[in-house]
Amino acid sequence: MQLNRRQFASTAGVALFAAGSSVPQNTTLTVTLAMDRIRQNIGVTWKESTIDGVKAGDGNASVSGVAVTAVATMDTLARAVREKTNLIVSLEPVYYSHNDGPAALNPQTAGGRGGGGGRGAGGIAPDDPVFLAKKDFIAKNGLAVIRLSDHWRARTPDPFALGLAQTMTWTKYRAGSDTRYDIPGITIAALADDLANKLNVRAGIRVVGDPQAQVSRIGVLPGVSALVASVKLLPECDVIVAGETREWESVEYAQDAVAAGQKKGLIMLGRVVSEEPGMNLCAGWLKTLLPEVSVRWFPSGDSYWRPA
Amino acid sequence: MTAREVLALMKQNLGSPWNESTYRDVFHAGNPDIEVKGIATTFMATLDLIQRAHAAGLNMVISHETTYWNDRDDTNGLTADAVYQFKTDYCLKNGMVVLRLHDHAHSHQPDFIMAGLVRALGWTASEGPGPRVYSFPKTTLGVMAADLKKRMGARAFRVVGDPKATVSMASVAMGYGMGRFSPGVDLIVGGEQPEADTALDLSSYVLDAAFFGMNKSQIILGHNISEEQGMEDAAIWLRTFVKEVPVQFVRSGEPYWSPGNG
Repeated sequence: MQLNRRQFASTAGVALFAAGSSVPQNTTLTVTLAMDRIRQNIGVTWKESTIDGVKAGDGNASVSGVAVTAVATMDTLARAVREKTNLIVSLEPVYYSHNDGPAALNPQTAGGRGGGGGRGAGGIAPDDPVFLAKKDFIAKNGLAVIRLSDHWRARTPDPFALGLAQTMTWTKYRAGSDTRYDIPGITIAALADDLANKLNVRAGIRVVGDPQAQVSRIGVLPGVSALVASVKLLPECDVIVAGETREWESVEYAQDAVAAGQKKGLIMLGRVVSEEPGMNLCAGWLKTLLPEVSVRWFPSGDSYWRPA
Repeated sequence: MTAREVLALMKQNLGSPWNESTYRDVFHAGNPDIEVKGIATTFMATLDLIQRAHAAGLNMVISHETTYWNDRDDTNGLTADAVYQFKTDYCLKNGMVVLRLHDHAHSHQPDFIMAGLVRALGWTASEGPGPRVYSFPKTTLGVMAADLKKRMGARAFRVVGDPKATVSMASVAMGYGMGRFSPGVDLIVGGEQPEADTALDLSSYVLDAAFFGMNKSQIILGHNISEEQGMEDAAIWLRTFVKEVPVQFVRSGEPYWSPGNG
C-alpha cells in the first residue's frame, strides 16, 4: 500500500493520539531512544548476546519516520529516502551476513544459522564495492538501520505464524495452535496460487506434491525450519507452508510422504517472503511505541524471477 | 556379487585413498549382504526413486544424497515416523539396499558432480581464468537464464538480478552454498542457497549490486538440478569395474513445481 502525503499524515496523527500518555511526547525521538523503547517494550527478556541493535547510522540522529521491513535492501533504503523516512527496522541483515559487518571476529561462528551456506568465513570483504556503496548511501542520506530479529522472533504468539495466517485470512480457521489452520478444502495448485497472489510472490514459490490433491489441514513454518519441525508437523496436517527448508531434509521428507501414498504437500515460499507478514505486524506494534513519527511497513518483495 | 562387494570394488577403483571415516559414504538402508541384480545411480534415494529402481530390477541404489532426510542419516527421533517406517520396510521387503556416494563422488578426479554439471550447462569448452570459472562472449542475464533453464530442464529455476545486466564470466557452484564473487565474475550459477541470515546473503547482495548498476547476477538451479547429472558420470565409472550386473543412471528428478510453470 502506498500512502499519499495527506493519508500518511493522518495515519501518523491517529497513532500519536492513540498512544496515550505512556510515552513522552515532547522529546525528540532519536535512533537510540527508539532502540531503548524497543528494548523496554519487546515483552521478552533482552538477551545479553544478540544480533539485535543499531547496525548502521548515527544513534543521535533524530528520526523522521520509520520503515519496517524483512530485509533492508537498497530498494527499501531508496524508497525510505524518497519518502523522508530515515530509520529502517530490519529483520534480516543490512550488510549481508549474520554479524552484519565486514569483520568476522570468529569465522567458525560468524555464519549463524545458515553457516557454511556461503562457503568460508562469514561476512563481506571490507573493501567490497557493493558494501562500500551501501554504507556510503546510508551515511550520505542520514539513514539508520536497527536490526530486530532475535527478540521479535521470541515473542508469543509467534508474530510470523500469526502474520502469515492474517495475510491469508486463515485466523478464523485456527486449529489449536498458531501453526495449524483447518481451511475449506482446496487443491494444492489453488492453494499455491492463493499464496502467490496474497504474498506477491514472483518466482520464489516452489511446491512438492500432487497439484490436484485436495488439502484442508495447513501447517505453517515461516522463516527457516529444520527437519524436526516438518517431521512433527506433517503427520498432523495435509500441507506445510514453509519459508525455507533444505532440499535433502524436509523437501525429501515431503516427497517420501507423497510416495508412501499420503495426500500431502510442502509449499516453500522463500525465507524472506514468508517473513514479510510478521514484519507488517511489527510495524503495527512499533506504531504504538513511536507515536511521534510515522511507522510503515515496506515489503522487501520476492527477489526471484524466472524466464518464460 | 553382494552390495558390500560392490563397495569394496569402488574403493579399489577410486584412484585415490577411500576415507574410511566417512559417515556419508556407507550403507543407509537395506541389507548390504544382499545379492546385487542391478545398480541405479541417482542424486537422491527418495522413496519414489527406490520404487522405480525396484520396478526396473535394480536392487542396489547408489545415491549422492541422503536417504533419511539429514546429512548424517541420523534416524534418532525418526523411527516412530510413518514415512520412515514405510521407506525402511519397503527396502527390506523388496530386497533394496542403499549406499551413499557423496564425499568420494567429489574427491574422484575429476569430481563426477562438477564434470556432470559443467557438461549439462554446455560449458565444457568455456574454461575461464580460475577454478570453476567459465568465460563466454558477452550476453545478457535474460538471454543466459532462458538458455540455461531450457538446457537444465528445470521448472523451479530462480534468477536474481537485472535481466539486462551483462554476463561474460560465470563461476559455478554445486549443491548447497554458492560462494561469492571473485574478480571479473559477473554471474554465479549454483544449486541451493540459504537466504538472508547466513555467511553471505548472496541474493540480497546481487539485488543491491544491481541497484548500483554493478552487473552481478545469480542463477539458482536447485540442488538436484545442479548435482544429478554427475551421477551419470558415476554410473559410467562403475561400469568399468562392475561387469556382472547392469548399472543405470536413474534420475530422482527435480522435486518441485512452481505455479504457472508446470
